Amino acid sequence: MDLGTQMTNGSANNQSRADYWKRFKKQKVLHLFVGLGMIFLLIFAYSPMFGIVMAFKNYSISAGIRGIFTSEWVGLKHFDEFVNDYQFGTIVRNTLVLSFLKVIFAFPAPILLAILLNEAKNLRFKRFVQTVSYLPHFISWVVVVGLAFAFLSADSGLVNKALMSLGWIDKPLDILTNPDHFWGLAVGSAVWKEMGWWTIIFLAAIAGINPFLYEAAQIDGAGRLARIRHITLPGMQGTIIVVLILTIGSILGGGLVGSNFEQAFLLGNSINNPTSEIVQTYAFKVGLRDGRFSYAAAIDLIQSVISVTLIFSSNYIAKRLSGSSLF
Amino acid sequence: MTLSQRQKDRIMDAGVAIALFIIMLCMLYPFYYVLILSFNKGTDSLLGGVYLWPRTFTFENYARFLNDPHWYQSFLVTISRTVSGTVLGVLFTCLVAYGLSHRDLLFRKSYFTIVIFAMYFSGGLIPYYVVLRSLGLLNSFGVYIIPSMLSTFFLLIAISFFQEIPQELKESAHIDGANEIVIFYRIIMPVSMPLIATMALFTGVGQWNSWLDSAYFVQSEELRTLAFRMMEVINKSSAPVDALAAANKAAAGVTSYSLQVAAMVVSIAPIVCVYPFLQKFFIQGIMLGSVKG
Repeated sequence: MDLGTQMTNGSANNQSRADYWKRFKKQKVLHLFVGLGMIFLLIFAYSPMFGIVMAFKNYSISAGIRGIFTSEWVGLKHFDEFVNDYQFGTIVRNTLVLSFLKVIFAFPAPILLAILLNEAKNLRFKRFVQTVSYLPHFISWVVVVGLAFAFLSADSGLVNKALMSLGWIDKPLDILTNPDHFWGLAVGSAVWKEMGWWTIIFLAAIAGINPFLYEAAQIDGAGRLARIRHITLPGMQGTIIVVLILTIGSILGGGLVGSNFEQAFLLGNSINNPTSEIVQTYAFKVGLRDGRFSYAAAIDLIQSVISVTLIFSSNYIAKRLSGSSLF
Repeated sequence: MTLSQRQKDRIMDAGVAIALFIIMLCMLYPFYYVLILSFNKGTDSLLGGVYLWPRTFTFENYARFLNDPHWYQSFLVTISRTVSGTVLGVLFTCLVAYGLSHRDLLFRKSYFTIVIFAMYFSGGLIPYYVVLRSLGLLNSFGVYIIPSMLSTFFLLIAISFFQEIPQELKESAHIDGANEIVIFYRIIMPVSMPLIATMALFTGVGQWNSWLDSAYFVQSEELRTLAFRMMEVINKSSAPVDALAAANKAAAGVTSYSLQVAAMVVSIAPIVCVYPFLQKFFIQGIMLGSVKG
């Protein structure tokens, strides 16, 4: 009896193992495709993750990739050093201020534009404005900053030249170099570049609203503004929450309106440095430029830990509040 | 004074139209301005006052752009990385996605876990740099196209797209004796054109605009991208003296700045030409992407 069950169990195991093998053989080409992808991820995504240990070590690039594991442990030395760096306070402040300013100004902008477009009477005009508004999304930050120079630079910028020739100012405005203007410049250019793009998703949300609601409201005597407030905005609520989660999750990188790093790198210069240096540019400079790899990896690590925490916690909060979440 | 509802509506319509018109100008004029600037004599542009059309019309900026070995070389590099990077990226991502789109694939769950984890966590720039270095990819053309071959984001989108393709299509091909490679190439790819167009657009634009990888991983002057060169000019021209000094030694009225403006137009033009035609695809793309998160 005992032996009998054992035997049937054994043969069932064999049976299923053989089945598995058969299925695997049948799928072998598919596994080859997927396997290539997995090898790719192992090399380009996972091996750098193991490389993070260098943040706790004294790593020098001459030791190659094996040096990551053979170099000596130094514990939290690099983290200590970063926190005690004389620039620490400034660059953390700059990073946070820039990130929050972008959420405050760049997040509502596409919502407003979507409502405006929805209220437009002439459909062809509406389509044209919309098409034009998301063109900048596809343009490189380098070009956007180039455009900013063409308009704002002190010696040849259009704005300065025009204001000077009108006699409104005596000497050119130093918008591109003055530390006081950097945040405004960064937020303004980010809004210009990405506003139209995010409008697409909000307009889609508006398109999903039942038109009978508008008719009913009109019969009840609601004006246009009242309809926006009581129908359009509530109808967009779900989308607004999803986009807000995405924004907050990626806030340190600049939220949805793009790259804090690219802006700080391209618009930053030695004169506006006190407000334009952020954690990412600092890590880049000390890491790849000065060759202090372990130190820069430690700074990177702090930032990614904060980012991942933000993504998961904003998603959790959204789930609790409204039932919409991303994963 | 009270306004009737119709009067209020009229005022609002006018307000909306004016607001949209101003937004449209803000979006369009910068592009128009660099376009006319690129056809204006460089030394003349420095004087200012060019607003609506070129004051001293010239093709010299573009001629110099094409004759300048640095600019021309970066133009070629950018074109080749855009073409090869897009083809490679779209093909490879689709291939992996095709494998993963089979619901009966063994270890499917483990594969997905690997993909999702890689989507949310990264090792950061510095360890990534070390990995590229040990692979010998630093300072090579390969660094532009190989590490970006697989995008986890598009992988997930492609998987869900392939899952929507009717099973019967594949099964009938199987019965006819076609193997997976033939099915992928002959059946899956042709019916997935909307997906492929969207992926190609985003990958292509990303490749075309890219300069960070050139700044991080490349030292060789021959491998610089167009966007990187423009970035260099921007960094240099932060100093106000430079533009004037450059103007003084400028040949044929071309300044380093007017060359830069020509380069900007060269960089913008293909995007402007392509995107009206691909609009419906990328609107699908953003919807897929944002709904799935």
